[in-house]
Amino acid sequence: MHRRAFVRLLAAAAASAKAAGSDLVAGRLPDGGLQIRTDLPPLKIVSRYSPAATPGMPGPFPGRVVKVKSDKCVDTTTNTANDQVVREMMAQGMRALTGAATTADAWRRFFTPSDVVGIKVNCGGYPNCISAYEIVAETVRQLTTLGVPVSQIYIYERFQNQMDECNYAAHVPEGVQTVAAERANRNADNSGYDPETYLEANLFGEEDTRSSMMRLVSKRLTKIINIPNIKDHGASGATGCLKNIAYGSFSNVARTHQRGKTHTYSFIGTLASMEPIRSRTVLQIMDGIRGVWHGGPFARTTKYLFYPKQIMFATDPVAIDRLLLDIVDNERKAHGAISIWDRNPASLKMDDSRARDADPNVNIIIREPGHVEYAASLGLGVADLSQIKVQELTV
Amino acid sequence: MTAAVLALVAAVPCIYWTQGIESRPTLESAGIKRLCVPPDQVDAWRKAGFNVTAVSDADFSAREALPVPGTTPRPGVASPTRAPWIVASGWRVMRAPAGKYSYAVPAGKGALALAEAAAYGADAVLKIDPADLASAGAMLTFLDSLPALDLPPVADFGVVDDGSPVTAEAMNLLARRNLLFEIEKAPSPRYRVNVAIGSAAYPAQDAADPSGFAQKIRAQLTDEQRSLRIYGSEVVIARLTSDGKRARVHLINYGGREIEGLRVRVRGPFQAGEAHIAGTGKAALQDLVVADGAIEFSLPKIGAYAVVDLR
Repeated sequence: MHRRAFVRLLAAAAASAKAAGSDLVAGRLPDGGLQIRTDLPPLKIVSRYSPAATPGMPGPFPGRVVKVKSDKCVDTTTNTANDQVVREMMAQGMRALTGAATTADAWRRFFTPSDVVGIKVNCGGYPNCISAYEIVAETVRQLTTLGVPVSQIYIYERFQNQMDECNYAAHVPEGVQTVAAERANRNADNSGYDPETYLEANLFGEEDTRSSMMRLVSKRLTKIINIPNIKDHGASGATGCLKNIAYGSFSNVARTHQRGKTHTYSFIGTLASMEPIRSRTVLQIMDGIRGVWHGGPFARTTKYLFYPKQIMFATDPVAIDRLLLDIVDNERKAHGAISIWDRNPASLKMDDSRARDADPNVNIIIREPGHVEYAASLGLGVADLSQIKVQELTV
Repeated sequence: MTAAVLALVAAVPCIYWTQGIESRPTLESAGIKRLCVPPDQVDAWRKAGFNVTAVSDADFSAREALPVPGTTPRPGVASPTRAPWIVASGWRVMRAPAGKYSYAVPAGKGALALAEAAAYGADAVLKIDPADLASAGAMLTFLDSLPALDLPPVADFGVVDDGSPVTAEAMNLLARRNLLFEIEKAPSPRYRVNVAIGSAAYPAQDAADPSGFAQKIRAQLTDEQRSLRIYGSEVVIARLTSDGKRARVHLINYGGREIEGLRVRVRGPFQAGEAHIAGTGKAALQDLVVADGAIEFSLPKIGAYAVVDLR
């Protein structure tokens, strides 16, 4: 097959930085203004897909977030969510986001029965903080109520061993597909990825310079619902909508951080900006019932678990993630831990994850929470807090 | 892409078997018909219908011993990537193609050692663990099944071999990164890049960090201009041969684990091809793309060795 691929080279964001009047390479501007670094690697996008008329990200509601809180959504002594409360939070959140009179109409705003819908969950925080079964199950219920057949609903992650641990199949109707691209994180299964849709970059001298989009995303799904968690992340500062959809849908992404340095700053947003994932990801449901304030994205113990007791709804992943940064950082401050924005070399114990897990004042990588602002510069949403409208509801 | 002048003469590696003729059923059940045996056993094996070559212990010991192929962690050794350290000897064979080599490999490595030796046309004799007879026999059968295609090796640059250990280690790292080079006695006008360690362009102190040195060469070549690229694994080393119209890609998987969907890009006028996969047989190339002066394809599951013929 001959093909003429659409190739876009992001020229290290130098032009953007010039436009922003800044050549800073570290930290956040005191006034919260947009800051784009100049020390970024060239990233080459290869994709044959064209954007939709209104790409799913940021979608019809840029800069808009509906936050639904409930003290009753989770029993913190057992870490068990309340199914009925979560269902009500979901209903109110979706109606508020869309302005629809009924919950069904709210979901109908995004989906039709002919859609093939992917639900991007997050299994990395198993067993204590994964995309809540209650949220995933309610999402499936709403889709089937609209008439989407269960055979056209895919709950997906990158790694099958993580999906097996989480076992979403036990919480949704029979026939809903639960799939992954690779058996495990071993860089040996590539057939689940689309070799013609990828981001190419040589970051640390690695030979395999491509990160390819999951075939499921490029070839099968027509819409995607993103259900991340509120979590700290050792490389990107925090992991939310952007990182879940990007690093959870592409191959060979662990290469972006090593030896104390990470390229997540530009890599996350660039992956999320690639077609067709950008156009097809139409709904962001941030599961903030539980959260992880340190040691993320993992949560093998409850040591750093906390309970924001909220779910956020948006079409704009950047807006939610901008709020997420403060949620995680405020929780860290409450525990006397260094900020996710900390770039002090004294805090860095390179590659020593044991020290990081033991001490919340240890970084293993200089983190890049600025990846959220970078994603905004790619048009994925609104990062400026003064431009983000948050509607808060309580159940 | 430049086809190096000298093609390696194809040689088939040989298993060194010192057990007596009473072990014949074991070998036959493994499909092994060709052996290297001690001189005093030659007649017995020949009478039994085997194709044998006499190799004494002294002959075996006199050969250059190659390390056990595979991957190994090397904590404390500087490396700019997360890729595991690959122990591979193709570059040694390239350095001395007329050399005589031996392997003594533990269980689980026999088939890989055979593949490595065959891919580089090495005159190699192997001591393998008897537990590997079945997999080694299968590999030998696979090697015998490959269509004959003797093409010159392809190189993107030259390396002037001064015989030094520093140059040897640089070649090791260059080969490990699938940077295709020809070993030469003096810089060749055939290549835009000729690496002579110790020259002004390539000071010896640069080569003291062979991994960084390999990156420097890679940058000079540019990834776009490289004749061959591998995606989807950091543990596969390729050898490319071509006459400009046809090409053969040898893919040796050192990782000890099957790889699915390995992606290969070869520059040149190639439009189609087919794969021969050890343990599987003939297979179609998947997700084939011909564009921008190159052919790209993916392979179904491969084990230790696969050969792809392009036309």
